[in-house]
Amino acid sequence: MLMDGFQTAFTPTNLMFGLLGTFLGTLVGVLPGIGPALAIGLLLPICLTVNPTSALIMFAAIYYGAMYGGSTTSILLNTPGESGSVITALEGNKMAKAGRAGAALATAAIGSFVAGTIATLLLAFGAPALADLALTIQPAGYLALIILAFATVGTLLGESRIRGLVALAVGLVIGLVGADLQSGALRLTFGNLNAIDGIETVTVIVAIFALGEALYLASRHTLVKVELLTMSGKAWMTREDFKRSWKPWLRGTAIGFPLGVIPAGGSEVPTFLSYGVEKALSKNKGEFGKGAIEGVAGPEAANNANAAGVLVPMLALGLPTSATAAVVLVAFQSFNIQPGPMLFQTNPEIVWGLIASLFIGNTLLLVMNLPLIRFWVLLLKIPSHYLYAGITTFALLGAYALNNSTFDLQVALAVGFIGYLFRRFGVPITPLIIGVILGPLAELYFKRALQISQGDWHILIAGPFPKIIYSILLLVIIGPMVWSFKKKFANKK
Amino acid sequence: MILQKISKQGKGELAFAGSLFLLGMFVAWDTSKMVIPQGSSIVSPQTFPYMVAAFTSLVGLVLISDVLRGRLGTPDGSEPGDPFIAPSYKTMAILMAAIGLHVILLEIAGYVVSATICFWGVSFAFGSRKYLKDFGISLIFALTVYFSFTKGLNINLPAGFFEGVVGK
Repeated sequence: MLMDGFQTAFTPTNLMFGLLGTFLGTLVGVLPGIGPALAIGLLLPICLTVNPTSALIMFAAIYYGAMYGGSTTSILLNTPGESGSVITALEGNKMAKAGRAGAALATAAIGSFVAGTIATLLLAFGAPALADLALTIQPAGYLALIILAFATVGTLLGESRIRGLVALAVGLVIGLVGADLQSGALRLTFGNLNAIDGIETVTVIVAIFALGEALYLASRHTLVKVELLTMSGKAWMTREDFKRSWKPWLRGTAIGFPLGVIPAGGSEVPTFLSYGVEKALSKNKGEFGKGAIEGVAGPEAANNANAAGVLVPMLALGLPTSATAAVVLVAFQSFNIQPGPMLFQTNPEIVWGLIASLFIGNTLLLVMNLPLIRFWVLLLKIPSHYLYAGITTFALLGAYALNNSTFDLQVALAVGFIGYLFRRFGVPITPLIIGVILGPLAELYFKRALQISQGDWHILIAGPFPKIIYSILLLVIIGPMVWSFKKKFANKK
Repeated sequence: MILQKISKQGKGELAFAGSLFLLGMFVAWDTSKMVIPQGSSIVSPQTFPYMVAAFTSLVGLVLISDVLRGRLGTPDGSEPGDPFIAPSYKTMAILMAAIGLHVILLEIAGYVVSATICFWGVSFAFGSRKYLKDFGISLIFALTVYFSFTKGLNINLPAGFFEGVVGK
């Protein structure tokens, strides 16, 4: 099957789209303040003009390209575009300050390649297996999975549980807007004809990241000059660097992939975990925090492996658990392809073409980016006022081009303001996006389950699968809450 | 009484939490007014929205109590305990105006005009004061995007008065 995928991906046209995707993905990902989710969202209109297979191949390339570009920015500019790059920024930027930018960039690039390749291989085997298993899951089981995803994404991200749930609630409300799929009843449309089809997810994603960030930065006047570190010499590493990097790469992969498959709340947890592991295992603990190469190699690998892991539930179950996976899901949907267990049977050429292009994109990145690094560095020299002017204008273009309607632009402005409020009050963004996408899906499975049981609510917890999922939920989410409450109570005594 | 103890940042967050509670209430009100089309279905289209409304209001209430107890959110990009930065509403207003003008002008004046104004406005809001140079860069940006999208990708954008000059 994978071989068929390679045949699809290896046609000259598709290979060209893969190359274009890697280039565009890195180009947009390198720009400070743009994470992978926004990068893909911004590039979505471009992909809509080509056929589904080529477009998704381009997407796969953009996906890895944007991740790679983000790490370059973190190392040279210390402005992580997303939570997964925070650690890279921490340790990599210190290396760059010590004149070891080349080694940091190289270990990030090669580590990403190694982790990406292994993780994509695991994806190629894991996703179909999970899809087979998923075919037996009933609507009630799906509902349980979605609620678990809500709970983990909502409570594990950010420093405060309640703020994650706030974001989730707002996302669910946005997801309600429009006509109910089954009855056609209108919700929250206020008589606006444009709102009947609901709010475009891409508009929400692009606006909340791009416009929200621009508004927030403008309100804070925090355009402090960030110091761009120069890079002397080539982006390459010595034999010693290599020796110190290869184990962290593999350990990072082992940590990042599984935590992507289970909804563990994005790339923040695995990168921090990998950093902790490397620090604990290292012989030169004193170097950590001052630019230890292991502290770049491990988390970068974890970040990339995590990105591939997240694709497993996205492809096999149709459940995205990170903002980036959510955008990829939207890309599928814009071609009327619904990811989920049936996808491997109905559109095998697309799935396998996509997985094969992940391999190709990953390889192209390694070949292309180490030599091109000087070109990417030039992009970091764009003055920030032009950068944000460009991001804002381009985000609005993306919102408009989807339907050629100014209604989407009005929505974008409103969502941008919500994005500003979230940043100001420390509310995480990802749960909102998950709510927008999974909210309608949760309702669908909820209704289907009750239709099967003729309205008997017991079906929601009937059978072993929902019971297992809800038990996990209780253990993972409620357990720690009770525990911390008990501790507080004991302390007061 | 309690309000006096709360910092300026806390008051803003209290308003945010309060509006979240009201949002939930509003969703419930909208759901109660819903016109349900004929045809019997087992689950009413109102059930799920009522759940979302209840969840939103509940979360809003918990956040209100959190804020009242002094547990404030940490603004993005700062550490807990950092001094509070009062938002500059002026720059925000300029930015919103630039985006708003883009929305209004796009289909009247065409993409090139509205995007030029938007780009220029955002860079002004971000503190650039080289008006002419900014204008030049804005125009080049708008033209590049316009032509690469309409000619290169066949994605239509409103031409405005450019229609007569360059064709469609």
